[in-house]
Amino acid sequence: MFRHVFVSQSLSPLKVAFVTLLVLFGSFGVGLSASATGVANASDADAAETEESSSPIDVMGKIADHDYIESPFGKVYLPRIFWVDGQFYTYSSTKKALASGDFIEKEGVIYRADETPITIDLSITSHLVYVWLGFILALLISLWAASRYRRGIGRTSAPKGALHNIYEILYLFIRDDVIQGYIPKEKAPRYTPLLFSMFMAIAFMNLFGLLPWAATATADLTVTATLAFVTFIVTQASGTKTYWGHIFNFPGVPLLVKFILTPVEILGLFTKPLALCFRLFANMLSGKIMIISILGLIFIFTELFGATVGVGSSVIWVSLTAVLYGLKVFVALLQAYIFTLLSAVFIGGALEEHHHEEHDVEHNDVKVMDPINA
Amino acid sequence: MMMSLFLAGSSLLSFNTGFAIWILISLIVFLGIMYKFALPPIIKGIEEREQSIQSSLDAAEKALREAEKISKDNEEVVREAERTAQSIRKEATKEVEEFRAERMEKAKEEAEKLIEDAKKSIDQEKQKALQELRKEVTDLTIEATTRLLQKNVDSETNRKLIDETINDLSKN
Repeated sequence: MFRHVFVSQSLSPLKVAFVTLLVLFGSFGVGLSASATGVANASDADAAETEESSSPIDVMGKIADHDYIESPFGKVYLPRIFWVDGQFYTYSSTKKALASGDFIEKEGVIYRADETPITIDLSITSHLVYVWLGFILALLISLWAASRYRRGIGRTSAPKGALHNIYEILYLFIRDDVIQGYIPKEKAPRYTPLLFSMFMAIAFMNLFGLLPWAATATADLTVTATLAFVTFIVTQASGTKTYWGHIFNFPGVPLLVKFILTPVEILGLFTKPLALCFRLFANMLSGKIMIISILGLIFIFTELFGATVGVGSSVIWVSLTAVLYGLKVFVALLQAYIFTLLSAVFIGGALEEHHHEEHDVEHNDVKVMDPINA
Repeated sequence: MMMSLFLAGSSLLSFNTGFAIWILISLIVFLGIMYKFALPPIIKGIEEREQSIQSSLDAAEKALREAEKISKDNEEVVREAERTAQSIRKEATKEVEEFRAERMEKAKEEAEKLIEDAKKSIDQEKQKALQELRKEVTDLTIEATTRLLQKNVDSETNRKLIDETINDLSKN
């Protein structure tokens, strides 16, 4: 009897979690089908694609950037801002832009009424909203933590509360293991705020992508490229003489080899941040695609074999997705960590003062000799 | 399907300049607020705490070392005291031993002296007694002789007898 009670009690939270998951993915599914029909309407003009767009799931539509954000309560359309030939146009949504008559849509691309392509599209997109959300959450938590430190919690006493502790653990981890591990200790404090801010922002952007209706901002090449660009600029700006010397004039290497080595080194300047950008992008994108595809199997199966098979097999897909979700939480934090770590490694590499023993000896000899000669 | 994937894929890999400008601006604002308001109190707070922990640890270490030193000093003092006590005890034992030996020697000497004195006085007494005895014997002999002479002085046998008696007496 007791055992029965125990079992039923231990099962109940699991059950609740499972039902919650089903409901969450249920809404996700609705979103999926809704966006699928949306795409079907949009691409009606393209006759060749009508057949393909009858597919019950639209993976790419779920990943790509949009002029609206999905929420559990429906779509929210975002303002469009266009910069065309030195002139600004702002509308509260795409529909308003088209209705104004100043802009026309051709094959899914928006042109000005006189068919001039848009120079710079400064529209607020769904990914931008999630970039902002990531920044804002990172800011809010940091400001909250800052206010606590200012009040003395954590400064004169131990940090209190789970959130504060987690925040501090992350900060200390980034500072001690990531930054001080790769950047010389006397220069590390200069880079700690930048790299920790980047870590927090990327982590929150990644984690926002876990919400079923949300977009993963870091699964957008533009976002990761911009972040990597910051690392690139900081790396080059903090480059020492030794660093540049090793790129353009590698010490201790024959002249002929230098002709090969220097272009490779220059290429290396750009491949490093590029790898940084693609790593984060691909990792976050693949996770998103995986989840959508596996959950999409429910709808594909329903289409192919009928509702019974579709719903019956959903147990497998939903449990698989649950496992993948756990993995994605881990990957979200891991990739933020890896981005920060590699940024620290690149910056640390640029900060390297020369460590070649022979060189130091040479310089010392010169220094010692000079006063005697004088 | 492949076609749409390709198309979507190309848009996926495209770089959107306007978007990048937005991100850059937001990133600068974000980093600006983080640098100006959020992070300094955190960095300073944690550093301060670390320093205070470090200084307390250092102080504790110092106190521990001091305590160790004090306890070592104490031990040294105790050992010193023990050493002194031991030496005092040893000295005392030695003194007692010496004193006892001296006393024994003295006692022995006194005893010997006493014995010697006793012997001497016994000897003296003995000599005295012998002398007295001899005198008595002589007197007795003279008396006996006188008496014998009164009766039979010339008897050869008697004379012999007297001599023998005197000899016997003198031997004793």
